[in-house]
Amino acid sequence: METLCQPRNVIYLMYRLRCRQGWFVKETGGGAGVLNRYFSGQSYRTTQLGTRTNHTSWCVRNKTHEWKTPVSAAVRLMHAVRQGETVMNVFDRKTKRKQKNWTASRPDHEDFDYLRDEVAYRIADRVCDVSRKFPVALDLGCGKGYISKYLNKDIVETLYQCDTSEKMLEHYYFLQATNRPSEVPTLTFQADEEFLPCKDNSLDLVVSCLSLHWVNDLPGCLRQVWSALKPDGCFIGVMFGGDTLFELRCSLQLAETEREGGFAPHVSPFTDVRDLGNLLTRAGYTMLTMDMDDLTVNFPSMYELMADLQGMGESNASWARKAILHRDTMMAAAAVYKDMYGNEDGTVPATFQLLYMIGWKPHKSQPKPAKRGSATASFGDLSSAPPQSGQNKPT
Amino acid sequence: MHRATTTGERLYFRVAKNVGCMLLSFRTTMRLLTHNMLTSHVKGVTNGYPLKLQAENIKVMSVDFNPEFVARMIPKLEWQALVQAAESIGHLGDLPRELMPEYESNEEFLKMAHHVLMEVEVIEGNLECPETGRKFPIKNGIPNMLLNEDEV
Repeated sequence: METLCQPRNVIYLMYRLRCRQGWFVKETGGGAGVLNRYFSGQSYRTTQLGTRTNHTSWCVRNKTHEWKTPVSAAVRLMHAVRQGETVMNVFDRKTKRKQKNWTASRPDHEDFDYLRDEVAYRIADRVCDVSRKFPVALDLGCGKGYISKYLNKDIVETLYQCDTSEKMLEHYYFLQATNRPSEVPTLTFQADEEFLPCKDNSLDLVVSCLSLHWVNDLPGCLRQVWSALKPDGCFIGVMFGGDTLFELRCSLQLAETEREGGFAPHVSPFTDVRDLGNLLTRAGYTMLTMDMDDLTVNFPSMYELMADLQGMGESNASWARKAILHRDTMMAAAAVYKDMYGNEDGTVPATFQLLYMIGWKPHKSQPKPAKRGSATASFGDLSSAPPQSGQNKPT
Repeated sequence: MHRATTTGERLYFRVAKNVGCMLLSFRTTMRLLTHNMLTSHVKGVTNGYPLKLQAENIKVMSVDFNPEFVARMIPKLEWQALVQAAESIGHLGDLPRELMPEYESNEEFLKMAHHVLMEVEVIEGNLECPETGRKFPIKNGIPNMLLNEDEV
């Protein structure tokens, strides 16, 4: 039986509480908001102006005046995403950068690289499958340079890589210096995925491995990548899909509803495969190919999964995140998780749904769909075709 | 799979990290090749390329000379931007200001281009946007192109 009050979790909760005390006090305004129960009647310090201003300006930017609780605002925003109304601003990019810097500063940071490493290997495999040489490539959201390890000189001649977190990039140099050098000359810079500082028509290939799920303005990002690509340039990416961590999401939802009477978003909203296809087409890519893969990782319990997610730098960074996750909620969620999704050997699975995409910038050398009326054979001819010899006849 | 590292592994990691930190200062990659690709994307800027390079701390490393690689990279560069940047940090040398025809076979020229592109590394400095004057700092050899909230 796992320890109920792991010191690490308690310290984490106390840290978050200290940083975000009273964040929701004024906004819930004495109404019947879920979170008010935990704050009213207690003397908390007022918020730092920074956090409150950010939340207020987020609401104004997204014209959500019914900000009774951040939960309803987040739900409304998720609907807005589906209808394509406003530019998304779900994620706090500053916090995400701080979280990545923090995880990169941990002494055991290498323990959490397994997921991105595996997916980077698969993406590099897909790049090698394209029978073309890419002189200049960019790795968007590179982390510690996972993809650069697996690329070789036959495919990519020069690799640029960028990430928002400087500490992650420093680890890239460490890997280079010790025992995992990259074959390809690699140049690093620190940049935001939403504001690419690359010249137009300068890149032959852009790869992105599991970093676009923290991007607010995904259509804008894809459009900037499109502008930076040369004609007949290629964008190969992988993102987390809608079913990622559904077990964690559902367990936390059920546990919070039962224990606290409501629930807050703990797992980020992910892009659906259909929406992603639409986004790429609207950004101007042609010859799209998308496919989906599920990667299931087994953990001893929900706590280890959450610790690993934190170690990977995938902690919650949405504006609407709740400051506190109560101990009894976590216990209940772990029990629900084990009950609903647990494996026979006592472990619990966590699903990471991977959406692979490849899109090309248009060029006149690319095959176009045939003109209407230019067919030379008809499907009707198939029925009159003679049967193939050696075919097994049904008995 | 929650990995447990043994004490031995952790020890190795700690020792190696100290070595790695020393080596960090020797493996910076802000080269003129990077500068050639970067542009300013501050809101409202129409022509943010090329960025002006101001260097405070430069290191010259020796990198293996690969003439085919250099010959293939040259057509992908903006030669004028490269010349301007090399001049601003004082490492232009004898590099010609205009690309001559038949440069692929000119070994001397390729060597000079290789030196300017790959061997000169800027460790501390600034990249300045030509229109707004906004400075993007270069720290530890990594240019920081992140924008502040008011520039977005």
